[in-house]
Amino acid sequence: MDPEDLVLFERSLGDAAGRATGSGLDAALDQLGWRDALADDPSAAVSLLFEQQGAAGTTSSALGLVLADALVGNAGPGTGTVLPAIGGCTPPGTVVAGRLRVRGLAPAGLVDQPSALVVASSGADLAAVTVPTASLGLRAIGGVDPELGLLEVTGDVDRTRPARAVSPATWAAAVALARLAVAHELVGASRAMLGLACDHARGRLQFGRPIASFQAVRHRLAETQVAISTAEAMLDAAWLDTTPERSAMAKAVAGRQARTTARHCQQVLAGMGFTVEHPFHRYVRRSLVLDALLGTAASLTTSLGAELIDRRQLPPLLPL
Amino acid sequence: MTGVEVVADDLVEFRASLDTWLDANGAVLAPGYEGAGELDQQMDQLAKVKALLFDAGWGRAGWPERVGGLGGSTLTRAYLGEALAARDLVEPGLFSMTEVLAPTVIEYAAPALAASVVPALLRGDETWCQGFSEPDTGSNLAALACRAVRTDDGWRVTGEKLWTSLAQYADRCVLLVRTGTTESAHRGITALFVDMDSPGITVRPIGTMHGGAEFSELFLDDVVVPFSRTLGDEGAGWTVAMDLLPYERSTSLWHRAAFLHRRLQEALESAPPEALDPSRLGEVTELLYAFRARSRGTQHRMADGDRLGPETSIDKVLLATAEQAVFDLVADALAPEVTTGDDPRSRRWRSEYLYSRAASIYGGSAEIQRNIIARRLLDLGDDR
Ligand SMILES: Cc1cc2nc3c(=O)[nH]c(=O)nc-3n(C[C@H](O)[C@H](O)[C@H](O)COP(=O)(O)OP(=O)(O)OC[C@H]3O[C@@H](n4cnc5c(N)ncnc54)[C@H](O)[C@@H]3O)c2cc1C
Repeated sequence: MDPEDLVLFERSLGDAAGRATGSGLDAALDQLGWRDALADDPSAAVSLLFEQQGAAGTTSSALGLVLADALVGNAGPGTGTVLPAIGGCTPPGTVVAGRLRVRGLAPAGLVDQPSALVVASSGADLAAVTVPTASLGLRAIGGVDPELGLLEVTGDVDRTRPARAVSPATWAAAVALARLAVAHELVGASRAMLGLACDHARGRLQFGRPIASFQAVRHRLAETQVAISTAEAMLDAAWLDTTPERSAMAKAVAGRQARTTARHCQQVLAGMGFTVEHPFHRYVRRSLVLDALLGTAASLTTSLGAELIDRRQLPPLLPL
Repeated sequence: MTGVEVVADDLVEFRASLDTWLDANGAVLAPGYEGAGELDQQMDQLAKVKALLFDAGWGRAGWPERVGGLGGSTLTRAYLGEALAARDLVEPGLFSMTEVLAPTVIEYAAPALAASVVPALLRGDETWCQGFSEPDTGSNLAALACRAVRTDDGWRVTGEKLWTSLAQYADRCVLLVRTGTTESAHRGITALFVDMDSPGITVRPIGTMHGGAEFSELFLDDVVVPFSRTLGDEGAGWTVAMDLLPYERSTSLWHRAAFLHRRLQEALESAPPEALDPSRLGEVTELLYAFRARSRGTQHRMADGDRLGPETSIDKVLLATAEQAVFDLVADALAPEVTTGDDPRSRRWRSEYLYSRAASIYGGSAEIQRNIIARRLLDLGDDR
């Protein structure tokens, strides 16, 4: 996209993601041609939408589209995507004795789609299978963030439809892209938290002065700014050349910095930020789930470290 | 040394041909000592490498032609330091002093002065130092007291500087002095470019915690400095200093990231596996990668001609955090070497571990960087 289009696209996405959520936002994305943008310029489409979504605290089915696009290209209208279960990136399906077992997650929008794309492992092989959504069990997840509208997807169905083979590298690349999307959403949510905390710090008076004048408060907010900038830099680097390792590191850093951001901003917002009348708690909830989605910072970091010890070689240097 | 054409405006070509040249001339460039060496040896090695680089053209790439450079992108300078650090050819902190001081002199010295002195710094014929801090003035730089008064022969400077890195080796000093009243704070400061062999200057090297005497105490007693050596205008020293500090947080930090990568890789290769905790190693690796990712953005903004400002405080915070995290890990993973080893390699690990403690102090402490971020980037207003 050229810079002018990009600005326009960003504005429309921002409007849409700020106004609508769930099926409303899905419809708006359709109208904006977000899916075409995803194919043409994945880095712009993903970063713009997910950051806005994170900042506004809204949600959509876009994460499923990111995964599907990378797996099978445009799966066409009417097909939703099943995501890995919380905490990891194991394919949501397993094929055992001709039956497809499903255990995963999906955005709320899956209920409106007649069919569902499930990536399933069968021994060492992977395949993408499309099944009727009606054949799956869908349960709305409450959890820490009911507004996210995630569905728990379970199933044990006859594998009637043909499957398309998916190479492990394709799955890894799809997960890598989806992780970047979630990382951008975490950055958006973090920026929103920092904005709330800075506004509060400037306006809230104690001991006759704005609490923003207390160094303990300023340093927490500065620390937060550093944390968020770190995640942004990791994302910039990951888009230069999206390898699974870079993407996992970016997701890990984004998850960790969001938890740091939540901790510092909570402390600055104090009692005000502890009420449900203040929007802050929504971001705390959202970032906790987003950190766990496709692997927590802690688990991604530990597996990175284990891998490094094993091969005795750091990830390749980021070139200038 | 064989001539390879230096292409300063194409990073990919520059990188490839520099790598080839460095590898071909590895034996001549290599230091003649094991481990870190003594400071004197490091300084000799630095001068040797800089001269070879300058004469072959690599050390001139990315610097303006009017000061002996070849022009081209500043990214070439970033890559040069990276390539040297990756091969352990120079001590990166010493090498990067050029990146801190030369841009200031290029920007603020009279053109003829810059043209005559900068090439000598680039070639390693000269060493320069930065005389900002004083015994009573560390973080609160604006309160500095070293005084300069106007006389017929030029400025006469009297006062004291402390922690002046490499002053005992230096030929010149970028010196901040007070030319206004004490109350004038940052408005009454002027920057001077002083010859270190001027009568009245006494240098007392001070041992540092990490070994050697990297910095000195500097006594100035009625030192005459010609007016032609004023950097910028009288009273504009604060601007000169504030423009210099972002340089301290750009190219030189990219060099430092390459150095830290090399050290973490070495620790990973030599530590017993049971001494490495996966989650900690993973986190330090991410931190270092993030520092480099952040610094990469800064290198590109600088190369595009953007003015660097307070956002580079984030880079400095990340350097301090990453450097200390890397060497904290080293201190655990290689505990026998760091604590009780007496071979050259162990001494190097120990020295570098101890030096990493200063990363949150020099160039504006970790707290001062956070103050800058709060005021300048987050717009949190005054802190009182
Ligand atoms: C290895 C090394 C090399 C150096 N090289 C040079 C050099 O070449 N040239 C040069 O001019 N200087 C140099 N310095 C000096 C360096 O710039 C100062 O040490 C630094 O600015 C801190 O000043 P200080 O040590 O006086 O600490 P102080 O300013 O006394 O600070 C002590 C502590 O108080 C904190 N503090 C101070 N003010 C505030 C505040 N407003 N808010 C919160 N916390 C605060 C500081 O963060 C620090 O933790 C070097 C220092 C080191 C360690």
